Amino acid sequence: MKTVATFALLILVVSMVFGGMTSNVSAQDDPTILLKIAKRAEEQIHNQISDDSSDKVKRLFEEGVQKVSALENALENDDISSAKEYFLSAMKIFTELSRQSSSTTPPQVETNTVRNDVKDPSNDLQRLQVYVTSLKTIAKKYNTSIDFSELDELFSKTRQEINDHQFALALETLFKIKEKIVELNKELREEASKQEFQRAKKYAQQYLEQLDRLIENAKKQGVADEIIAQLESAKENLSLADDKNKIIEQIRKIISIKDQFELTKNDRLESRVLQLEKTISILSQIDGVNLDDLKDARNTIQTIKRHLYNGEFETANDLLRDLAKQLEEIKNSS
Amino acid sequence: MNPEIVPNYRKEILREDGMLFVRTEDILEIMIKIPLLVASLIIVAFTMPVQTSFSSTRTLDLILYSDGSAHILSKLDVDPLDPDFEVDLFGPSIDNFVAIGENGFLLSSEIIGDKATIDTFGSSTITINYDIQDLISKDGRVWTFSLDSPTDYSLLMPPNSIIVGMNALPSNMDIINEQTKLELSIGYSEINYIISTTNPSTTNPSTTNPSTTNPSTTNLGQLPIDVLAFALIGVSIVVTVTLAIIMIKRKQTKSLPVIQTENTFEPKANVVSNDIETIFNLRPNMRDDDKQIIKFISENGGEVLESDLRKKFLQPRTTMWRAVKRLERLGVVETSKKDLQNLVRLKKDVEEEE
Repeated sequence: MKTVATFALLILVVSMVFGGMTSNVSAQDDPTILLKIAKRAEEQIHNQISDDSSDKVKRLFEEGVQKVSALENALENDDISSAKEYFLSAMKIFTELSRQSSSTTPPQVETNTVRNDVKDPSNDLQRLQVYVTSLKTIAKKYNTSIDFSELDELFSKTRQEINDHQFALALETLFKIKEKIVELNKELREEASKQEFQRAKKYAQQYLEQLDRLIENAKKQGVADEIIAQLESAKENLSLADDKNKIIEQIRKIISIKDQFELTKNDRLESRVLQLEKTISILSQIDGVNLDDLKDARNTIQTIKRHLYNGEFETANDLLRDLAKQLEEIKNSS
Repeated sequence: MNPEIVPNYRKEILREDGMLFVRTEDILEIMIKIPLLVASLIIVAFTMPVQTSFSSTRTLDLILYSDGSAHILSKLDVDPLDPDFEVDLFGPSIDNFVAIGENGFLLSSEIIGDKATIDTFGSSTITINYDIQDLISKDGRVWTFSLDSPTDYSLLMPPNSIIVGMNALPSNMDIINEQTKLELSIGYSEINYIISTTNPSTTNPSTTNPSTTNPSTTNLGQLPIDVLAFALIGVSIVVTVTLAIIMIKRKQTKSLPVIQTENTFEPKANVVSNDIETIFNLRPNMRDDDKQIIKFISENGGEVLESDLRKKFLQPRTTMWRAVKRLERLGVVETSKKDLQNLVRLKKDVEEEE
C-alpha cells in the first residue's frame, strides 16, 4: 500500500512538473510557417548570389537549400522535431551567407541605402503617432479639454510632405509636432497629478486597514511591544501623510519594519484580497452581471478580512480561492 | 517468530525499554522516502509560484521600425500592496515612455538607466509603452534583432523586411499589412533580417498571402522570369543612379576641407557647419532629432551647455541626457564639466564607423 502511495505521489509530482513545463515550451501551432520563413530566406540569398560569388559561398548556399528541402520532407512526414532542426540549421547557414554577402557589397551602395532610410522620417512620424494615440486615450479618461486638433493637422501635413518626398519639410513639421507634444504632455500630466493624489490617498486608506489587521495579529502572536509600537507609529504617520511622495515614503518604512521582523506572512493573502476587490469593482461596471452575485462576493470579502483580522489564514486562503473561482464564473457568464 | 512480521505494539515496548531497534527495511524506506518527499516539495514549491506570482509580464508586443528602433507594449501584473513598482526595461535608450494603470490613469514614473520606477498606488495591472533603440544592431545590410524575453511575445517585423536568419522557433506567423508578425517564446531570440529595397510582394508572390498559399508547393522556380528581369534591371538602374549621386556628393565633401585649409580666416561657425555634413555622412544612422542637436551645437560655435539644449528642445533632463549619451556613443560629441554644468562639444575628429 505504501509503495502504491509513494508511486502515486511520484506520478503526481512528475505530472505537475512536466505539466508546468509544457506551458513554457513553444507550441508549434503551425509548423509550416518554418518552411515559409526558410523559403523566403533562401530566395533572398539566392538573389544575392551571382556567378562571381566564391565557390565556398555557392557550396554553403547549396547546403542551405538541402536543409530547406529536408525541412520540407520532414514536414510532409509529420516529423516536427527533425523539421525544427533543419529549420534552425538552414537559417544559420543563410545568416552566415547574408553576412558574407553584406561584407562584400560595395560600400557606396550601402551608404546610399542607409542615407535614404534616414532621410525619410516615416518611422519618426509613426512613433510619434503611436505616442500621441496613448496620450489621447489618457486625455479622454481624464475628460480634459486638451485640444489635439492642431497636432492632428501637423500629422496630416507631415504625411503629405513625406508622400511628396519633401523630407526636409517633413522633418521641420515633425520638430513642431515634438514641441507641441511636450506642451500637451505637460498639460496632461498636470491634470493627472490632481487625481493621482486622490488615488494615493485611497490606496493609503486600504493599506491602513491592512495594517490594522497586521497589528492585531502581531499582538495575538505575542510580538514584542517595541515592534507593535513601531507599527503603530508608522500607521499614525501614514494616516497623516498629505502628499503622494510622503505616502510612498511611509509605506516603504512599514514594508521595511515588516521585513525586519518577518511579519510578511499574510502579505500574499492581503494582495489577493485587493486583487479580488478590484475584480468585483470591474465586474460591477459590466452590463448583465447579476448584482446579487456581486453583493454576495462583497460579503465574502468582508468575511475573509475578518478571518485575516483574527489570524485565521487557512480559512481566509480557502475562501479566497473559492471567491476567485466564483468571480471567474460570473465573468464568463456575463 | 519471524522478525520480519513485527506487530506495531512491539515498537512501543522497545521504545519504553530505551532500546533502539531499527530494521534495515525501515531505514531504507525512510532514507528514500524523506529525500523523495523533500525533493518533491521543493520542485512543487518552485513550480507553484509561477502560477500565482505577482509582478510578472502578462503580454509583450514589439513593433520593429525600419530605422532600427522598436516599440514595446507590455502589460504587467504587479503587487497591489506595493506603492510603486520597478520595471526592467530592455535597454537604456528609451523614448516616449507612458505607464498606464488598470483604470486607464496615467501613472507617474521615473526612468534611470534601464529601470523605470512607476507609482502604481495599488494597481494590480499596468501597461507600459515605450520606444527603444537598444534591441537592433546593423552589420552591413543585415539587421539583427536580439532579445532575452521574460515571456512569450509577438514581434511585428518592419515593412519590406525579409528574415534571413533566426535561432528561435516561432510558434505562429501572420502577415499584417504586408508586415510579418511572429509569435515567439520566452528566452533568447536572435533574428537577422534585411530590408528589401523592392517590395517583397513583387519579388515573392508566394509570401504575399501565406494564409492561402500552400507552403509545400511554394517554389522559387515558379517566379516568372520577366518579373525577375525587370527587378534586376530596376535594381541596377537604382544602384547606378545612387552610385552617381554618392560620387558627386563625395567629390563635394572632399573639396570642402581644401577650401577650409586655404582660407584660414573663415569664421568658426562656418567651419563647423561644414563639419556637420561630414558628421552626418559618417554617421548615416543618426536619428533625426539627434541631428537637430548636432546642428544646434554647430550653430553655437561647436559647444553648448546641456541645460541650453534642454531649453532649446524643450526636453526633460533625462531625455536630453540620454540623447547626449547616444551622441557620445556615436563618437560625435564629448562632454566635460563647466561651472558644475555639462558642456557638450562637437568632436573635431569624427572617426569613420567600423
